[in-house]
Amino acid sequence: MAEERLWKFRKPEWMNSATARSAGVYGAGALFSLAFFTLLDAAVWSHSSRNGSDIHIAFIDWLPLIFSSLGMLIINSIEKTRLAADSFSYSGSGVAWKARVVLFLGFASLAGGMAGGVTVLVLKYVVPGAPWPTIYMGISNVVGNGLVMLSSVVLWISQNMEDEYSYNLAL
Amino acid sequence: MTAGLKTIISLSFVLAIGFLLVILSCALFHQYLPLLVVATYVLAPLPNWICGRCANPDDFVESSGNAVVDFGRFCTGFLVLMGIALPVLLAHSAIIRWDACVMSIIGGGLIYGTIIAFSMFFEEEQEF
Repeated sequence: MAEERLWKFRKPEWMNSATARSAGVYGAGALFSLAFFTLLDAAVWSHSSRNGSDIHIAFIDWLPLIFSSLGMLIINSIEKTRLAADSFSYSGSGVAWKARVVLFLGFASLAGGMAGGVTVLVLKYVVPGAPWPTIYMGISNVVGNGLVMLSSVVLWISQNMEDEYSYNLAL
Repeated sequence: MTAGLKTIISLSFVLAIGFLLVILSCALFHQYLPLLVVATYVLAPLPNWICGRCANPDDFVESSGNAVVDFGRFCTGFLVLMGIALPVLLAHSAIIRWDACVMSIIGGGLIYGTIIAFSMFFEEEQEF
C-alpha cells in the first residue's frame, strides 16, 4: 500500500477509522439538509409578510438545486473501484471508460447547478437592483448550491476512506 | 454498561421535559407547526435502523452492503439537521416567534438525545 502512494503528505491516521467515516456520512447528510432548507427558507420567506417586494420565488429558483442534487446522486452512485483503469479485471470491457463518462455528466450537472444559482442571482436580483432583504433570496440560492457541492465532496471523501479501512481489516 | 432503574427514570424525565418544551412552544403562541419537530426526531433513527437490518457491514466480498448503510446514515443526518432547521425557518418567516423557535429546538434536542441514549443503553445486550 505504501509503495503506491502518489502524494507527499500521508493521510492522517484518524481518517482511516470507521468512526471518522460514519461521521463524514452523517455530516454529508446534514450539509445536504442545510442546503435544502436554505432554499426552502427563501421560498417560505418570499411568500410571508416579511417580504415587502414584488419579487417572489418561482420554479426557476429551484431548478439549480434540482440539477445540483441530480449531479450529487450520479457522482455518489458510481462504484469508485471501477474508476481506476489499471485495475486488472475491469479495464477490458471498457467499464472504467463508461464510469468516467457518467462521472463527467455528474460533475457537469453539479457545476451547472452552481452556475445556474449565480445566473438566477444576477439576472433576477442584481440587474433589477433589488435592495438587501430581497437579494437574500438570490444569495441563499448560491449558498444552497455551494452546500450541495460541499456535501458531495464530504460524501466522496468518506466513501473513499472505506476501501482503506476494509483493507486494513481484511489483513 | 448496565442500565439500571435510575437510568430509565432519568431518561423518561428528560423525555417528558423535552415534550413539555415543544408543546409549550406550540400552545403559548397558538401556532402548532413546531410539533413537526417531534415527528422529525422520532423518524430520525428509523432509516439508520432499517438500513442496518438490510445490510451486513462486515461483508467484504459484496461491497454494496456498505452503500445501503451509508444511505441510511445520510438520511438520518438529513433528518437530524431538519429538526433544527425547521423552527429557524418558521421563525425567520414570522410564522412562529423566536422564543418559540428556541424552545422547540431545545425540546427536540432533549427528545432526540433520549432516543439515542436509550438505544445505546439497551442495544448492547442483544448484540451477541
